Amino acid sequence: MSQENSEAADVLSAVWVVDGLEGHLARVELEDGEIVDMALASLPRGVKEGDVLRVVVEGGDFSLELDPAETARRRTSAQAALNALNMAAPGGEIDL
Amino acid sequence: MRALLALAALVLGTVQAQATGALTLRFLDVGQGDAVLITSPEGKSILYDGGRSEARIQALLKGYGVQSLDLVAASHGDADHITGLVPAVRLFKPKFFLNNGIAPTSQTWGKLTAAVQQAGTQGLLARDQVINLGSVRVTVLPPPPGMPRDEQNVNSVGLLIQYGSFRALMTGDSETPETQAWLRKYPASVLGNIDVYKSIHHGAANGDHSAWLAVVQPKNVVIGVGPNNYGHPTSQALELYRRAGATVYRTDRQGTVTVVVQANGRFAITSEKGAPVPANQGTTSGAASHPATPASPVYRSCAQARAAGVTPLRRGQPGYSTSLDRDGDGIACE
Repeated sequence: MSQENSEAADVLSAVWVVDGLEGHLARVELEDGEIVDMALASLPRGVKEGDVLRVVVEGGDFSLELDPAETARRRTSAQAALNALNMAAPGGEIDL
Repeated sequence: MRALLALAALVLGTVQAQATGALTLRFLDVGQGDAVLITSPEGKSILYDGGRSEARIQALLKGYGVQSLDLVAASHGDADHITGLVPAVRLFKPKFFLNNGIAPTSQTWGKLTAAVQQAGTQGLLARDQVINLGSVRVTVLPPPPGMPRDEQNVNSVGLLIQYGSFRALMTGDSETPETQAWLRKYPASVLGNIDVYKSIHHGAANGDHSAWLAVVQPKNVVIGVGPNNYGHPTSQALELYRRAGATVYRTDRQGTVTVVVQANGRFAITSEKGAPVPANQGTTSGAASHPATPASPVYRSCAQARAAGVTPLRRGQPGYSTSLDRDGDGIACE
């Protein structure tokens, strides 16, 4: 294994999403879709519902940081998709 | 041809005979989360939230013999409410997807909206609107204006279910700012006198509060809850329900809780296991609760029916009468 590949293997990056806050806990969606509870104190200060977290594991060190750009990108994209779904909704009383 | 018509009539007759003639609400045991299956006497169905597990909701829907869904509703975008909607949409391709209009950033939400799009399901932004689920009237309580858009809970979509004199209310994970705004917006006659009520936010401390429950007046409370790290249901919420005089059902202890409402307005509550906690008693009883409700209501005028919030009344619905149906088209107080 070359030195470059060896260094790449030591750096893992993942993206998590804060699904919701429940008191002193945060419900976090991991990259594989699993939902776990994490202590709010273990997350970056000021974390909010919907925030995207960048997770970096490098040589045994673990770091978590907010990724506001990715949060904004996802919000915009998801909102556009939802707006499109809702666009042709009928008004008035609906009979099912 | 005559034989074919006779066969068709026979088949139709069989289908009608299979209809239950009752409204059924099932507060599904999905673990920590909410999922409520609402089926009208005509077999029309709504799934209000889907819990946190795709596999679990699929097993439950199969177990209860669900053949179709007409509408799925996400009270709000949290995973413990929407995850199970993904397979529900894929399997049943409902006509509508009711939502609060605020898109979360999670993958789960992305999967749900992709499934909705693939199924050809129409998105339905919650607004002041009535949805007739067959003869059952479903009033949408949209999030009030002014709620912060970066918080899903306070933008929960509520549903008021009315079938004759029977009334059920469910309001997702709404918190005090939202319920206070609803109290300002709706008269007590809309929010109150609720026969079956879904506990807000699984019995969290930031959900139900005394001013809200004083108007809602729930007779029976069902808490959708499972093993959790959040302390749900909290002792504060349980104390509020006790003070309200409500009988409390918990899906973690009683399993799926089923409410069957007859056309004459009577309803019965049964649970999969265990017994509920009766109002104002600290012990459990040995039998499921079967509260009696008044017979089909009689409205002397359309003004009276409108004041009760049940108009228009269709033939077959509790409270309908020909004296209120001036043009005889089967719809009174149009």
